[in-house]
Amino acid sequence: MSGTIRRGAALVGLALVSAVTACGTTHENAPGASAGGAPSTRACEGAGGKYTIGMSQANLAEPYRVRMDDDIRKAAAGVPQFTVNFADAAQDNAKQVEQVNTFLTQGIDLLIISPNEATPLTAVVKKAYDQGVPVLVLDRKVDGDGYTSFIGADNVDIGRQAGRYFAEKLLPKGGKVVELKGLAGATPAKERSDGFDQGIAGHGITVVGSADADWLREKGQQQADALLKAHPDAQALFSANDPMAEGARLAAQNAGLGDLPITGIDGLPVPEGGIKAVEAGRLAATFVYPTGGAEAITAAKKLLLDCQQVAKKQTLPTRLVTRANAEQVYAELNRS
Amino acid sequence: MGDDGVLVELAGVGKTYGGVRALRSVDFTVREGEVHALLGENGAGKSTLLKILSGEVAAGTGVVRIGGEPVRFTRPADARRAGVAMIHQELDLVPALSVAENVFLGREPHTRAGAVDRRGMVERTREVLARSGVDLDPRVPVERLRTGEQQLVTIAKALSLQARILLMDEPTSALSPREVDRLFTVVDQLRKDGAAVVYVSHRMDEIGRVADRATVLRNGEVVAAFAARELSAARAAEAMVGRPVDQMFRAAGSSDPGGDEVLRVEDLVVRPRPGRREPAGISLTVRAGEIVGLAGQLGAGRTELLEALYGASGATLTGGRILLRGKEFRPRSPRRSLRAGLAFVPEDRRISGLALEHSVTAGTVLSIVDRLARFGMVSARRERNAARGSAERLGVKAGSLSAPVGSLSGGNQQKVVLGRALLSEPALLLLDEPTRGVDVGAKAEIYRLLGEAARSGVGVLLASSEPAELVGVCDRVLVLRGGRGLRELDTAAAGEADLLAASMGEVPMEDAR
Amino acid sequence: MTGRAALAVVFRFQSVFGLVLVFAAAIVFSPHHNGDLVFLDSGNLFNVVRAISEIGIIAVGMTLVILVGGIDLSVGSVVGLASVGVAELLTANDWGLVPAVLLILALGLVFGVLQGIASARFRIQAFIVTLAGMQIARGLARMWSGGEGVSITYGDGPGQAPVPFSLLGERTFGGVVPIPALLFVVVAALAVLLLRASAFSRHVYAIGGNEKAALLSGVPVTRVKVAVFGLCGLLAALAGIVHAGQLNFGGPNDGTGYELNAIAAVVIGGTSLSGGRGSVFGTVAGALLVGVLDNILQLNDIDSNVQLIVVGVVIVLAAGLQRLRPATV
Repeated sequence: MSGTIRRGAALVGLALVSAVTACGTTHENAPGASAGGAPSTRACEGAGGKYTIGMSQANLAEPYRVRMDDDIRKAAAGVPQFTVNFADAAQDNAKQVEQVNTFLTQGIDLLIISPNEATPLTAVVKKAYDQGVPVLVLDRKVDGDGYTSFIGADNVDIGRQAGRYFAEKLLPKGGKVVELKGLAGATPAKERSDGFDQGIAGHGITVVGSADADWLREKGQQQADALLKAHPDAQALFSANDPMAEGARLAAQNAGLGDLPITGIDGLPVPEGGIKAVEAGRLAATFVYPTGGAEAITAAKKLLLDCQQVAKKQTLPTRLVTRANAEQVYAELNRS
Repeated sequence: MGDDGVLVELAGVGKTYGGVRALRSVDFTVREGEVHALLGENGAGKSTLLKILSGEVAAGTGVVRIGGEPVRFTRPADARRAGVAMIHQELDLVPALSVAENVFLGREPHTRAGAVDRRGMVERTREVLARSGVDLDPRVPVERLRTGEQQLVTIAKALSLQARILLMDEPTSALSPREVDRLFTVVDQLRKDGAAVVYVSHRMDEIGRVADRATVLRNGEVVAAFAARELSAARAAEAMVGRPVDQMFRAAGSSDPGGDEVLRVEDLVVRPRPGRREPAGISLTVRAGEIVGLAGQLGAGRTELLEALYGASGATLTGGRILLRGKEFRPRSPRRSLRAGLAFVPEDRRISGLALEHSVTAGTVLSIVDRLARFGMVSARRERNAARGSAERLGVKAGSLSAPVGSLSGGNQQKVVLGRALLSEPALLLLDEPTRGVDVGAKAEIYRLLGEAARSGVGVLLASSEPAELVGVCDRVLVLRGGRGLRELDTAAAGEADLLAASMGEVPMEDAR
Repeated sequence: MTGRAALAVVFRFQSVFGLVLVFAAAIVFSPHHNGDLVFLDSGNLFNVVRAISEIGIIAVGMTLVILVGGIDLSVGSVVGLASVGVAELLTANDWGLVPAVLLILALGLVFGVLQGIASARFRIQAFIVTLAGMQIARGLARMWSGGEGVSITYGDGPGQAPVPFSLLGERTFGGVVPIPALLFVVVAALAVLLLRASAFSRHVYAIGGNEKAALLSGVPVTRVKVAVFGLCGLLAALAGIVHAGQLNFGGPNDGTGYELNAIAAVVIGGTSLSGGRGSVFGTVAGALLVGVLDNILQLNDIDSNVQLIVVGVVIVLAAGLQRLRPATV
């Protein structure tokens, strides 16, 4: 039986050795890492170089994020100097940290990251940035300013535009609405809801009931079901994303409110996305929440091929999608 | 149909399992409208005969004829098609389903729409139940019926399968007297309807009441056949035992019956629980160096008594008291009982005795690892030494002490369990069927070890269903029935036949339930 | 007999041999960077060990639970609860490092003990008890944090965590060994020792091998099971503390799915889900195997969906190998 112990010791040794030797040649103390100041940028090789880009995605369970990866893949296909490696953290903060670390040991030239959550990813993003790897943060921010550029839409603004659409188009004379919110505690959920309140303020519209539906279609249906039972006099429904809006549509039909106007947010240009739902008349309107994938590759080109700087923050505009323009927006977003 | 209305005929049927001859050239017939009882000790070949008829095993040699036609069953389904139904000792019913659903399990009638035809099912079940004179609501879940009623449901199920031949293996072992009466009414009805019934039982009084003929098996051979009316317990017991009582028993016999009293049980009553025959008034004593036997039919409460004494079953004592070495003792858990000086060898070593995948060493020292440990740590060497000592003393034959205990023969497995019990150095050793499924050689060794233990001052309480064993090994035997002490026999005076007769209920006794 | 014995060793330590195989494959398939194998880069190996340290710590406790024939589905949620708890105590409540860590470890222990009592004493199936525990711990984590993640900042001021806690994160102990990896190695070593030589381990194996026989042989079955569940909860809490330290963050939704990753490591390590057979040692190798596998797949930019499939296949292979295993212990 002592053989077991010996083998055990060997494995423990392996673990320790891998840990100990790490300090010898590790990339962690990359040259040029500076304490707090602007990071050193590596010598720019320009259009003649070859570049590996690491794309760290928070999860691939949401269609929006799958589309983001697809947008990046598609845009990068047009740049022969770029190779993009993708990683999926499956909603696990710790896993995303390790994946970024793996990218760094791999020696990527640029990191694109859509963080699962801000704080847990801040340190590793800053580590990459301090090593001189340009970092483009998509959709969700990280804390501090240890990154090259943030590319994303403004959720408050989108919520506000949705609110204005209610005030101006759906209920110009005021009225009662119900609201489906996203995942409780998630920043975008709060921002979209706050924006919506700002948009309807002063127009005689009151939110008579609201519920958290965790961004999910089936939860949206359940919650809308309850909301519409409690408030049968609601004149419209605002949903913080399209899947919940689609769920609400089913609930409205079951409640005999087939013509209740419902709006969503996201407007993904995919067959099962919100734009098609607007086109089919299930949703009154949706607001495009751009993935920023194409914009990220444009920024990467600027940084790596053109050796130029990019703005620290790039806010992507939203677009109102109604039945009138749905077909056109869908085609445009799938063109590039 | 065969001659004289013979429905089942076995001619020269034999069966060998891995070198052991379970049946040799048996002739056996059952006529239409006849109940034929089958008697014999454990291992006499009764189960094998039933298994051949029910298609669970194929006959090795000889011919089986059903209604005059030679048949060869290789699967239970073959037997079922030929009209043979087995009423198992363990009821094969689904507790949560209703009577009707159980009767039609797997062949539910369907309505034209394709749904299960519940109403039709209930109606047809009612008919089948009525045919055997049973009055039960087909819609009641089986788990709410009493054991006897469940038994009737299995019979109804067999009848609904158009069975003409019913094999009943100890059908009354778990029944109350009233339930037994009801069952016999049904069996009478079956007889009148022309069915052939093979009836296995230990209870001689029953056989006189229900059977037409009786055949006694011993060591796989037919040794006697009676008309049931001529049958007496004494004659049947003689035929069943037959062979000379081996010297090996007496080798175990003790001893010094003058030792101190290790165990005294006075009027022990345990709160009854369903499916168990808890002690309902048992008194007994065991002295140091004495081997006391517990006899009685299946369901007499032998196992329950041992488990109650050892604290193994979570039993609640509601009456009487237990004195261990003169001090009041309340069994709480096996761990405490072990500390108090009891050790227990359970009935089924595979289910409750051993982790078969674990090593011989692990199995042997389990009860004393705490004692082997120093500061909570056990050295593998101390464990091996303890296990080796025990294995040598008990003559355990194992390739290696680190071999899985499941790779050992039944007898050697049992010695590991016994060794574990002895390593705890008990004052009182409780054993439940310690030689079941063990070959003759190992049996003799186990008896020798029990004798040794007794001579070293251990009190032994041995439950067994083998009269020969009880008479041969024990100084005294307490016969149990219905959870009560029926009678105590001194083995110096009484023989196997006396014991069998006592167990089989020559003495009338009101049942507890 | 020696051939058979050798075969038995292979089966018993299948995960170790599996690890060696996967390690070799990783070397073969490793991409190059500046002429060096990226996989063998010490920074990368370092990363692998750290990556599995949380799951590894949990899996050690899970091994014990599975050895007694149980299962603990609550560990992932306990990681979330512990990470939130330690973050809140260190920041909002301004507790010192030692009391905060001790309290959270005690919390994990108590949580596990309660589950153990429910399962062993009141005989509710462990699967159901810990399924409930999984929900309860997650709910507690969300309540404690108000539904939002708790950021940890370091310093001496109010609302700031003591600086030493940040050692768990990117920084390394003495600039040499990453603390999470060190903790994992220590926990694993202690557990290996415990399972090899303690009387307690004999009871653990006996219960898993045949609970009824163990009970009748005088094993304090309830007590041992409760202790095992308590240890598992304690180790899950430890993993949660490590988690919070690594990420400077207490996440109420963090640790989701960790219970399944831990079970996977245990199964790959050759421990039987029906209990009584297996080792912490195999589990450690199983966890490393999954870590190396994940790493090499990512290094080769294998689609994440394919990664899931590969890990799934490895689990099935490991379980299948156990069925072929000869009957020798």
